[in-house]
Amino acid sequence: MIVGLPKGLLFHQYEKFITEFLKVLQIDYIISKDTNKDILNLGVKYCVDEACLPIKIFHGHVASIKDRCDLVIVPRIVSVHEKEFICPKFNGLPEMILHNIPNMPAITTKPLYLYSEKKTLAWLEDFGSMLNKNKNQVREAYIRGKEIYDRQKLGYNDKRYRRRVLLVGHPYNIDDIYMNMNIKKKLNDLGVGVMTHHYVRDKDKQKEVDKLYKRPFWTFARHTYGSCVYLGRTQQVDGIIYLSSFNCGIDSIFIQLIKNELKDFPLLVVKIDEHTGEAGLNTRLEAYTDMLERKKKNGSNFPASREHLYSM
Amino acid sequence: MVVTFPHLGNTYIACKIMFDSLGIDYVIPPLSNKEALRIGAFHSPDEICLPFKIMIGNYIQSIEKGADTVIIVGSCGPCRLGEYCELQMSVLKNLGYQVKFIVVDYPGEIGIKELASRIGYISNQSHKKKIEKLRALYRAVKAIRLMDYIEQSARMIAGYEINRGECKRLLLQCRDRVFNESDPSKALKILKSYKAKLSKIPIDKKRKPLKIAIVGEIYTNIESFANHFIEDTLMDYGIATYKSLSPSWWLKYTGLKVLKLHAVRARLAAKQYLKYEVGAYAKETVGEAVLAYERGYDGIIHLLPVGCMPEIVSKSILTSIAKEKDIPIMTLLFDEMTGEAGYLTRIEAFIDLLERRRRDHVLSWR
Repeated sequence: MIVGLPKGLLFHQYEKFITEFLKVLQIDYIISKDTNKDILNLGVKYCVDEACLPIKIFHGHVASIKDRCDLVIVPRIVSVHEKEFICPKFNGLPEMILHNIPNMPAITTKPLYLYSEKKTLAWLEDFGSMLNKNKNQVREAYIRGKEIYDRQKLGYNDKRYRRRVLLVGHPYNIDDIYMNMNIKKKLNDLGVGVMTHHYVRDKDKQKEVDKLYKRPFWTFARHTYGSCVYLGRTQQVDGIIYLSSFNCGIDSIFIQLIKNELKDFPLLVVKIDEHTGEAGLNTRLEAYTDMLERKKKNGSNFPASREHLYSM
Repeated sequence: MVVTFPHLGNTYIACKIMFDSLGIDYVIPPLSNKEALRIGAFHSPDEICLPFKIMIGNYIQSIEKGADTVIIVGSCGPCRLGEYCELQMSVLKNLGYQVKFIVVDYPGEIGIKELASRIGYISNQSHKKKIEKLRALYRAVKAIRLMDYIEQSARMIAGYEINRGECKRLLLQCRDRVFNESDPSKALKILKSYKAKLSKIPIDKKRKPLKIAIVGEIYTNIESFANHFIEDTLMDYGIATYKSLSPSWWLKYTGLKVLKLHAVRARLAAKQYLKYEVGAYAKETVGEAVLAYERGYDGIIHLLPVGCMPEIVSKSILTSIAKEKDIPIMTLLFDEMTGEAGYLTRIEAFIDLLERRRRDHVLSWR
């Protein structure tokens, strides 16, 4: 039996765990290629038009490996934190895959609650039974996988650069370098270091989130909002770049809330969609870094808006 | 305190009856209109869904008429409705409006005490006795059930009526008269009289009109302005339409959710396609579509606002249902564009397709 691992959505977060898990169980697996034009095209072909880019790309990954494996892992990750969700589309992901892509091999459909070890194990045991592995084997593989998972450090925290920005957005937008046109490298080349929310303490994020009227129920939105507002308020970074996929329901709310909170702080919202032309992004990033430099030169009491362009 | 609330289909009739009985000052926003949508779209973030924009328009139009307190319902995800209150507060605050929000939220999230205190805040504004407050609530529930019943049956009977347009005229007249009546008990009487009138409309039972079921996202289903009055259009074509979603359906659903007995039939029907909760009412959408097939409807129209997250999932599933059950399903997406022609053309084409399918006994519709 060969297990297929689509390299989309939260794969990069849990890659270390799932590959180790399958290795310990001595199961063969294939991983789809890094996102490329063909995968994007496949995704656009199969997925419903209204879905967002990450979901389409996930469809593409699944479609690219479906004929070469017997079981595809399509995780229905309902939540990674108690009483919180990721996105409604995650809750219906297996159904979207099954109904959009014809001739699918078997897939995993059980809901996955990653915040509790017990529930995660239950999912893995169910998954193990599809691979003819018993509970003890699964448990052992889980422990080995978790060891490696816990050791990994996610996110970036560049130093040694003149300017530093916080790069936020859903993890799959930041991790997939095809989708975001390797924005990190582009920024580094412009002399801007990149930091992600992983390097902001949970305590500091929570303090900002608690000021909201209502507790946000989307995990990534909570991280994003907390880190943006905290770092923006304390001016620990020069600017914030928000990577958002077009038509993302969660970002549509939180970008506005962050804007309202930070007012003049330099915030660049980059929307990503199926377009693959890079010139537009390059120009915007260059203009943005120019603006950061200008702001530094003129003092922080200059708002980062256009009116001051000619005053220097 | 002057209360206001966003529009959602016929709820304004029930709310009016309730606040009239309680003796609380209220402003009903002008029925959702293009100006409200324009205001809302102007002040809201670009990519937010349509209901949010119309609601902002509703608020601002009532604030201009003197409202200072907004009542809305909340939820706890995963759909965006749960975050509406947060963002709406900040939008209105940035515009310089001083309004208080009362969010009637899910008690599991904010605690029963907090919910009671929020509702208590509203009911303390009324100087009526407790028993009269309960009666006000009872009247409101009764009114919304009657109104929804009248609307639902008028839309269905429209396919069978002998005098074209009678049902529609009756429905509009009924809404108008109830709305202009400020005495709650008289308003209820009017509703009852229209229910009786409706059953006396001459119908031709032998006629076999096209029957279309409407499913989809709850706001675009219930608030006719959001769906460009699609049901009225269908009524004009002499088509019997059925839509299960209505404010009274929502009340029943929310009440029974505690016992996990909400929308049992639809959820059971959905089971073979969608086993788990996706959020909002996606599961019910799928269930209703299957039920519509089982009840012998000719076609299904699926409504959603652009970018609605749960309904994107159900849309994927509906394509499979259409294929497997061989029933035509048309999806209509709505955003702040108000052009009618595109929708009309599509609806007419869909009706033509259904008619041709029936006349020629065409089995496949693809």
